[in-house]
Amino acid sequence: MMRNVFGTGEQAKEPVYLKLIDQLAPLYSKVGVDYRQMRTILEMKMTMDSRKEAVIQGMGSNAKQNEEKNHFFSSLWVYAIISVFLLFLFVYDNWVFQYTTYFSYIFIMLFSTMLANFSNILLDTKDAELIGTKPVSQKTIGAAKATHIGIYLVSFTFAVGLAVMLATFYFNGILAGLLIIFLTFLSSLWALGLTIIMYSTVLKHFDGEKLKNIIAYSQIGVSIFMVMGYYLMGQIFEVIDPETFLVEMNLSVGHALLFPMWFVAPFGLLQEGIQTVYIVYTLFLIAGTVAIGILYNLNSDKIDSNLQKMDKAKAKLSSRSFLENGTAKLLSFSSLEKAYYHFTWQLTKNEREFKTRLYPSIASAMIFPLFMFFSSLRGDQPITSQNTQTFLYLPYFTMLAIPMIAVATQFSVNYKGRWLFELSPKHAKGPFLRAVTKVMLVKILFPMYGLISLLIVILTGFIYSVQLLNGFLLMSAILYFEMKRSSQGLPFSRKYAASEANQGCMASLIFFIPVFVISLAMILLQSFVPYAEWGVLVALIALNAWWMKKGFNK
Amino acid sequence: MKPIVELVDVTKQFDGTPVLKGVTFSVMPGEIIGYIGPNGAGKSTTVKIILGMLKKDAGTIRLFDQPLDPNDVTYKARIGYVPENAELYETLTAKEYLLFVGELYGMEEKEIVERAVQMMDALGIKDAFHGRLSSFSKGMRQKVLIISSLIHDPDILFWDEPLSGLDANSVQIIKELLAKLKQEGKTIFYSSHVMDTVEKLSDRILILHDGHVVADGPFSELKKEAAGTLEQLFNTLTGFDQHEALAEQFLKGMKGEITHDA
Repeated sequence: MMRNVFGTGEQAKEPVYLKLIDQLAPLYSKVGVDYRQMRTILEMKMTMDSRKEAVIQGMGSNAKQNEEKNHFFSSLWVYAIISVFLLFLFVYDNWVFQYTTYFSYIFIMLFSTMLANFSNILLDTKDAELIGTKPVSQKTIGAAKATHIGIYLVSFTFAVGLAVMLATFYFNGILAGLLIIFLTFLSSLWALGLTIIMYSTVLKHFDGEKLKNIIAYSQIGVSIFMVMGYYLMGQIFEVIDPETFLVEMNLSVGHALLFPMWFVAPFGLLQEGIQTVYIVYTLFLIAGTVAIGILYNLNSDKIDSNLQKMDKAKAKLSSRSFLENGTAKLLSFSSLEKAYYHFTWQLTKNEREFKTRLYPSIASAMIFPLFMFFSSLRGDQPITSQNTQTFLYLPYFTMLAIPMIAVATQFSVNYKGRWLFELSPKHAKGPFLRAVTKVMLVKILFPMYGLISLLIVILTGFIYSVQLLNGFLLMSAILYFEMKRSSQGLPFSRKYAASEANQGCMASLIFFIPVFVISLAMILLQSFVPYAEWGVLVALIALNAWWMKKGFNK
Repeated sequence: MKPIVELVDVTKQFDGTPVLKGVTFSVMPGEIIGYIGPNGAGKSTTVKIILGMLKKDAGTIRLFDQPLDPNDVTYKARIGYVPENAELYETLTAKEYLLFVGELYGMEEKEIVERAVQMMDALGIKDAFHGRLSSFSKGMRQKVLIISSLIHDPDILFWDEPLSGLDANSVQIIKELLAKLKQEGKTIFYSSHVMDTVEKLSDRILILHDGHVVADGPFSELKKEAAGTLEQLFNTLTGFDQHEALAEQFLKGMKGEITHDA
């Protein structure tokens, strides 16, 4: 029986996940991990996650600080509810179709959460100094980090998959139900294992400044891979009779690379009996799992032993680009705001943790529009005969990145530098928030929206340019409202912890509804009311001019 | 007697910039070594390499009469370390943090708590045992770090700026403590910029400059090379004699009298 050091009192109850992990102690020991040490580290990390950092010195004796609550776990129900929409799958009788859609969804959710929210925990360099100097092996530190993230990732996956798992027991029987539980669990281990292998390989082979860039690129690369995967997945099935919900599967050799399909093959065997393609894919699943296990074991100690490289990279000479100077002059209305504009621009340019957190979300927000754009090209008809107005929807989807931006700008690894802002006069909060919002608009949203719009302009010409401009102005206004709604104190003043991980994700999911409604209203208004686009343009220019000048003042 | 720490021609570079260009020195058991050098000279890098936090590029290191093996971490149980930056897991209480550290050294809870309370009492912070580290002053955090480096009764201490943030009384206690630890046969290797303390406490002083050890010996011997205090010796060996001119330049900069190109 392990004792419990951390917790609010002597009688603190031991969390379920610790009891479960205790069952795996022999497995950890077998692969060379000191289980006792690993558990101590894990317990400490989970305790820290459940505590908010005291913002003001002297809060030590405050009763409020003793409130312990892990916000990650207490917000998982939102995912469980949102994922109920997957239940539509059960109207189809084809198990392979059901679970292909399910695992595609699970993997997209898993990878975007893993990359955006847990990369920083994996790449945290503080442990090297505080734990690495004690007689703890890199393997043990690596296992503690992986298990720490694993606890969150597995809980997250089960929340996302809960509805489908329960429905599987009801519709497809106990055997299929047990299989889906096992494979859902396995999918979260895959996401964790593949991410660790990717980072350890990158850390091993690159140095210095290049390393930081490669990490950002590898995250974007995974996101692009997800878009391509989704696109290919879409080709596998065809609904041949919508009335009877009959689907036909067209598998080709190329689809063998889509590993979520490997997770589906056992269901094919279960429903349709022995078929070569399902046997081959099931064997791929087994081989893949073994390969990830071996590669993880070979690389699990490489992350921490190479992490110091990140902090030792030579700082690049910082200079203000033409774009930075130009937009600062154009968009800042006071010298104080301009100073904050440059500060935000440079901070977001240099802080690795900021990029690690935001870039994967940007890539995920681009998935929908890019996927839909390219799938609409797939049709047999020439583009000119298609209803090109449907393209106008696409850039609106980039709005899904807005909640992530609003969350990302709250945190900084150098959060202690907040004393600088705290010392500045009180009215500085308005200019600071305005500057941060403007930088995010120019640096993040404009390139995203611009890219999709450019693709549309290439296809349709300039006939929709006013509508596209209106879309951007709307996005800018929504960014303002979201930043205002979510701002808690000053930007870049909070410390990031694992339990904060799903903050932005959840906001993004909830955001989906207003985005859909607003986009629809905009499109309908501009399509059916003559000259409405010009009216909308004037209204949006006025709204944007107002927030850019006076927003955040209260 | 054999050295407890031995470095021969150790080199290290970051992103193509050499930091250590061939550092060689040895430390005998029971010695107090003051390891000094200008900012960025590589003092912390040396310690981090010895502690296995960084990999050396070349050279050999022996610890406890054994070659340093990066795959074997057991030697770290005999080392106590105070890092340069007072980094702690701030949302933990002092008790939790010290228990955490003690556990990593394989100690039992009762033993850790008894030792921690007594040491905290001696340093005047016993009442803060259950307080969160985030609410501690810089000096209090430094004391917790010092305690965490000694809680397992190590053989050798690597202390980087151990007196940083401590009040005068606590500095006195730590100085006494160092003398007593030496009597116990402990080896102490510490870096500091407070020359006065280094001069008085160290059996031997190592001065690191431009990636090399440029002086190694007791202060009484080093004095022969350049008369005066350790501070003056340090300035001579690191080739630094422009204090007044630089202070003047700084002041002009503050007043907007610009003499240099931006």
